[in-house]
Amino acid sequence: MIVCVAVVGYQNNPLYIQSFTDADDALKLHHIVHCSLDVVDERVNNPKKSGPTLNETFLGLLYPTENYKVYGYLTNTKVKFILVTTDLDVRDADVRNFFKRFHAAYVDAVSNPFHVPGKKITSRTFAERVSTIVKSFGLSSVG
Amino acid sequence: MVDPANTPLGKMLLEEITPVVMVLCTPLVEESCLKNGLSFIQMLSPFCNFTNIDVPVRTASDQPYRLQKFKLRLFYASDIRQPNLEVAKERLKQVITQAGEKDFSEMWSDPPQVNDLLSRPESEILPSWFQFFNEELVRTLSFSDHEAFDHPVACLLVVSSRDEEPINRFVDLFNTNKLPSLLNDGAMDPKILKHYLLVHDNQDGASEKATKLLTEMKSTFGPNDCQLLCINSSQDRQIHHQENPWAPFKSDALPTENLGCFLNFDDFNEIKDLMQELSSKHIIPYMEQKIRVLNQQVSATRKGFRNQIKNLWWRKGKEDASDSPNGPVYTFSSVESQIRILGDYAFMLRDYELALSNYRLISTDYKLDKAWKRYAGVQEMMGLTYFLLDQSRKEAEYCMENAFNTYLKLGSAGQQNATRCGLWWVEMLKIRDQIKEAATVYFRICSEDPLHSAVMLEQASFCYLLSKPPMLHKYGFHLVLSGDHYKKCDQVSQSLKYCDNVPNSRSSNILQCFHLQIKHAIRTYRSAVSVYKGTTWSLIKDHVHFHIGQWYAFLGMYDVAVTHMLELLACSHQSKTTQELFLRDFLQIVQKTGKTFEVLKLQLPAINISSLKVIFEDHRTYASAAAASVKESVWHSLEEDMIPSLSTAKSNWLELQSKLMPKKYKESNICVAGEAIKVDVEFKNPLQISISILSVSLICELSANLEEMNSDGNGSNIELQNDENKTSTSTRDIDSSSILSEVDLSLEGGETTLVQLTVTPRVEGILKIVGVKWKLSSSVVGFHNFESNSLNKNVAKGRRKAKYSPDNYLKFIVIKSLPKLEGIIHSLPEKTYVGDLRHLVLELSNRSKFPVKNLKMKISNPRFLNAGNQRELNVEFPACLGKKTNVVQSGGHSNINKVLQNVFLFPENISVQEETSLSWPLWFRAAVPGNISLYVTIYYEMEDVSSIMKYRTLRMHYNLQVLPSLDVSFELSPCPSRLQEFLLRMDVVNKTSSECFQVHQLSSVGKQWEISLLQPVDSILPSQSLFAGQALSCFFKLKDRRKSSTSEDSIPSPSLLLQSDVRLGPQGNSEALFDVYSSPLADFHNSERLHQGMPLQGNEYKVDFVFISQLLKGNIDSGAPNTPLLISHHACHCSLSSMSSISWLVDGPQTVQHNFSGSLCEVNLRMMITNSSDAVASVRISTFDSPSSSIQSSDASAPQPGLPPENQAGWCDIPVVNDMKVITSDALATRFTKSVSLESVSQFIWSGSSSTKLRLQPRSTAEIPLQISVFAPGIYDLSNYVLNWNLMPSSEEEKQGEASKSSGVCQGYPYYLTVVQST
Amino acid sequence: MGREVSESCIDSLLTEMVSTYCNRFYANKPELAARRIEAIGYQVGHQLSERYTMDRPRFSDHLEAIKFICKDFWSELFKKQIDNLKTNHRGTFVLQDNRFRWLTRMSIDQSPENGASEDTSIMADNKAVQSMHLYFPCGIIRGALSNLGIPCAVSADISNLPACSFVVRIKA
Repeated sequence: MIVCVAVVGYQNNPLYIQSFTDADDALKLHHIVHCSLDVVDERVNNPKKSGPTLNETFLGLLYPTENYKVYGYLTNTKVKFILVTTDLDVRDADVRNFFKRFHAAYVDAVSNPFHVPGKKITSRTFAERVSTIVKSFGLSSVG
Repeated sequence: MVDPANTPLGKMLLEEITPVVMVLCTPLVEESCLKNGLSFIQMLSPFCNFTNIDVPVRTASDQPYRLQKFKLRLFYASDIRQPNLEVAKERLKQVITQAGEKDFSEMWSDPPQVNDLLSRPESEILPSWFQFFNEELVRTLSFSDHEAFDHPVACLLVVSSRDEEPINRFVDLFNTNKLPSLLNDGAMDPKILKHYLLVHDNQDGASEKATKLLTEMKSTFGPNDCQLLCINSSQDRQIHHQENPWAPFKSDALPTENLGCFLNFDDFNEIKDLMQELSSKHIIPYMEQKIRVLNQQVSATRKGFRNQIKNLWWRKGKEDASDSPNGPVYTFSSVESQIRILGDYAFMLRDYELALSNYRLISTDYKLDKAWKRYAGVQEMMGLTYFLLDQSRKEAEYCMENAFNTYLKLGSAGQQNATRCGLWWVEMLKIRDQIKEAATVYFRICSEDPLHSAVMLEQASFCYLLSKPPMLHKYGFHLVLSGDHYKKCDQVSQSLKYCDNVPNSRSSNILQCFHLQIKHAIRTYRSAVSVYKGTTWSLIKDHVHFHIGQWYAFLGMYDVAVTHMLELLACSHQSKTTQELFLRDFLQIVQKTGKTFEVLKLQLPAINISSLKVIFEDHRTYASAAAASVKESVWHSLEEDMIPSLSTAKSNWLELQSKLMPKKYKESNICVAGEAIKVDVEFKNPLQISISILSVSLICELSANLEEMNSDGNGSNIELQNDENKTSTSTRDIDSSSILSEVDLSLEGGETTLVQLTVTPRVEGILKIVGVKWKLSSSVVGFHNFESNSLNKNVAKGRRKAKYSPDNYLKFIVIKSLPKLEGIIHSLPEKTYVGDLRHLVLELSNRSKFPVKNLKMKISNPRFLNAGNQRELNVEFPACLGKKTNVVQSGGHSNINKVLQNVFLFPENISVQEETSLSWPLWFRAAVPGNISLYVTIYYEMEDVSSIMKYRTLRMHYNLQVLPSLDVSFELSPCPSRLQEFLLRMDVVNKTSSECFQVHQLSSVGKQWEISLLQPVDSILPSQSLFAGQALSCFFKLKDRRKSSTSEDSIPSPSLLLQSDVRLGPQGNSEALFDVYSSPLADFHNSERLHQGMPLQGNEYKVDFVFISQLLKGNIDSGAPNTPLLISHHACHCSLSSMSSISWLVDGPQTVQHNFSGSLCEVNLRMMITNSSDAVASVRISTFDSPSSSIQSSDASAPQPGLPPENQAGWCDIPVVNDMKVITSDALATRFTKSVSLESVSQFIWSGSSSTKLRLQPRSTAEIPLQISVFAPGIYDLSNYVLNWNLMPSSEEEKQGEASKSSGVCQGYPYYLTVVQST
Repeated sequence: MGREVSESCIDSLLTEMVSTYCNRFYANKPELAARRIEAIGYQVGHQLSERYTMDRPRFSDHLEAIKFICKDFWSELFKKQIDNLKTNHRGTFVLQDNRFRWLTRMSIDQSPENGASEDTSIMADNKAVQSMHLYFPCGIIRGALSNLGIPCAVSADISNLPACSFVVRIKA
């Protein structure tokens, strides 16, 4: 299952970070996301190690921690999407699909004229959309 | 690539992997050494390290090469065994702890920022003790049996010359039961190179005996294996060695003791030569020799294809036999261990190719035998060899990783080795600039031992910091991780301490021994702070700060703890419980410190500095806060013509001050001693939990000397500020110099409240408002300085002039106390109806010691508020408005004059004495609906001229809501029958929702109007009260009596007494009519007129009406509850609708009898034309019935009486008319029939001139005779004439802008004439 | 998800916005009005670029980003591409649109010879008005590019309507 998703701005400032676990491990997940930023930078700086095609937004598996898998996605506008999951076998397609929908949700959220760019995303609709996407991710990966 | 031998790893290997010499010595030897404060080994060890030994060596394949660097490791036989793990761990822990103490002591400065950390060289960044720790860690697992380079190569037997029969001593020194286990359990060959050393202490006497012994030894043990060493040659005096060579080898040496004090230069050289000879003449050749031998054996048994096959087959054969966990045991005689030894020796002699080949060889065997530990060890050595050969990094790393994993697979047994292997691997990666990989290796080294892994994690974090580009996020993360581990191992040690309470060797302090490593934890966290500082990862940041704070608190360093806890206070993003936790811990820690913290810019609660607003009173005083918040410009415009110097020069009050008071006051604000300065500040609680703040008060500096101002030497201010603080933190302080108000408030979660704080200076001087302070708890005092914030937005708020520097903004000059009036208008309604007329009382009270005089008052809105005169002060209302016979207009007029120049001057004799109050009547009338704000300014002057201010003003501000009550409208129309008489229609609609009004009276203002009801009100409005929404319209007759006096008039006015008021109430009503001519009604009426921009005496053709009604029991507060509210409506300038200034009336008989058989009938009419305007009017009446030029000629000769002489123009037509006269008759008939045929009407024709011009003087009436001829009986409408008129405008009309039209064309009025046939 | 709006609405909205800012809010402070309009454009561009770059690989260099603006971004906005792109290879790009949609509705007096002073004055304030209308697209371009991580300054030049060229200067 997905334990955490995050949106990180181009200055590595967290725009939205949401954990989906009952346990109180928000701090750990924050740390994981925070660390993954280094890997993202690494991937971008020397793209030979990065995803299948050059400069693809989807960065693939960033790094496996002891019991998590962290996937990354970097938009053209240097906004990073991080996905932390506990699933052991994740199909790449699922992750790509997830990120695509996540990105769409993000775009709609920041297109809100009342959203201040670079500030945390507080829109409730965005949160709901993200949670639905996360749920559906679980389902699709099962199927 | 540098020579691998010079890299840190290379150096380390050349240090660590070197031949070991086992030392066996007698106690006497030690004894004689100890004179120098050294053990025997310590004495030798400085000389075991050869940088340039230069020994020729030959490889197994006879390649000669020279060995330059060489080192021997000396160990007592007792030490040659695997060290006990627990001891080792304890030692490591001590190492770490000492390091922690050391670092902690120099950690008082702020942790370095990441950026300048990066700018520094690596050596500075890395804590120095890492290196040491790693070496210690490696040493902890020397002498393991699975690798040979720790096995002693030679054995040094030492006997003192004082020993009795030394020879036997030599023999039984080397007896097997004392030997280390390695040699006994057959892990290594017991027959090793022995070297016999006789130590002679020169203090025991001359060395002849020793030499004798030496010869004896030589005879027994062989000539070249024995040596004599003489020490302590300097008997009497002590030698002091500078850069003492022994110091580094005796870690616990006190600086006082003089190591090697008895070893003189000769001893020095002797020892050196001894070791030199030992290594070069004996050990190295021995090893070289051994390598040859082993190499031959190995190649004999294992090299070559056949041997390989055999070997494989053989191993397969014995494979099933061996299933012990770490493979079979190999004795020294087994070929495997021989190969290993061969490899290690070769390694130690730098013959790396040989070593490598043998390692390769053996590793396969071990692998096949599943002797994993040995396999791993060999892999490890292979990796190192590859590294030192500096070829194929991949191979090297592969081997290291392989070894590492194999060790890990062994579980706890291999853990230590894994660590060592990992450390070497890391070093290798670092040298190859693969720092990130090094970090991951560090991460993998971490074992379950928290302390151990803490150190590893910290090293890993530094790797991330040093990697290019630096990976700061991971740096921070690993710092935090290692911090947690450090903390964890404290908990572990705690539990240990509990289970066996061994008092800690280092410190008896129980708290200390529970928190050995917490300092490391703090250190790591602190450096982590620098990573997260400035980012918005608030969750992490809070966690870090919170723990640092807690741990400092553990250590009892509460001050530092508090500084970190402060970072947490404004954690609006945290959950409610977390916020409570943070706040609680913070307060607890603060309490533990036992002192009160004074925190600048305490974040709890937040201060909205833009809301800062200062209200102070210099010469401008305010009756209420509402008045103070009014814009200065309003007051300014109001007071302009009242304050003397302002009225002359348009200037803001400041120049005024500069006129009135000394120069130095010019720059700054003035306030008066004893009068409070109010400051509004807005507090916001960022948390979700409610907090309570105590004793919020201002911080002020009050310095006595006024020269402080110009030379801002703040010295005195500062100290005064201090005692200000001291006193003001005590509750309800009454300071000698000033009084500060204190407020306690409690803020709910997210609540925002506005607090008004006051400071009241009591002595003259300079008052400076520095900031605000409050108590979060009993012991946390928050400060906020106003100055530090930009004041530009406050400029708008507080009454500032832009020219002030922000410094002056909160700086006041306190001048000695002055009289100050306080004013209030009693019973001014908040909410009332339009037209509400009231009698109010203004009360001015003077609290001070001095009287004030020359009071003036100005009211912003005279339509609403008027000053009465003193005698009206306590009249009863509304009876006072009743008509009195003796009333004179003087009262009204006097008021009018005062209102005219808008400033009400109190009579000169009026002055408010000290501690008295003055009451003054005011008249109030709600003129228009809406929300009205009234501004009243009262100007007064001081009696004592000594004071700096000559005058002050009291400003009052009231807001009231006026609701629409009655809607009264008048319509004036001329009555067709009479001139000078008009029909007045009054429409009254009750606009209120619930009120019920009682109509009372209607008065017309102006003397010349006489007003009378057409029908009694009872018929229209039986109950004289108008209910909500009800409408009333009634008709009056309005008569202009002045006109009737001028022009002689047929109808005499029925009554001569002035009838300008009409009572609308019930007829029997006895209550008096109100007098609209006396104040206040007159005043209000005038102001109404003024408001409509009319001169007070307009032209008389405009009428003003005052309609008065009463509101019996309103649901709004009336001044006096029992009396009804009086509602007066003023309608000004009601003029005749479409009233031209020319009016006329056709007068004549209504019916005429005539016998048409005789002649046509002539009817005489007359038209009266009135010019009511002030201009000369010329009027032309042109009648028409047909193109009837002929008819006029019939009696054109008839002279027009009253015709103006200049109308001679009429005459010139006559001859023409006369010519035509002839044809008139028949033309008449023809046109008559035609007229019949054309129109059935107008059986008459106008006779007389068809167009009459006349000129009317202003306000005059003229009469024109008209005549018509009728030919048949019938009813005729004589309206077919046109009146053209225009006014010759006179000059004064021009500028008056007369509204009425200056020319016009009017159709005639219908006038019906009935002609009947008379018989 | 991409909702569509009638062109005419956008056109009139634009003109209304410009006139409101120039004549009501910041009358007699044209540069202020210009800045405000440009800021609005900036936000619009910022958000649009977020949307239009959704499913495409990241740009490796500035030129790619500019090309994206010229091709996809422009055709998303105006249903046509930029007609001509020039650059000195030192960070200045000139994007020319031969028929800029937002200027096509704009009246131009096509009298080439007008010696009369009031004609020239009319021309002048025509130009002023047109340039006012161009601050919005300039802001859009700047917002899009800066969101793509390219800080730049954008200016527009209307030499001959309805052709219009935008000059992008990338801040080094």
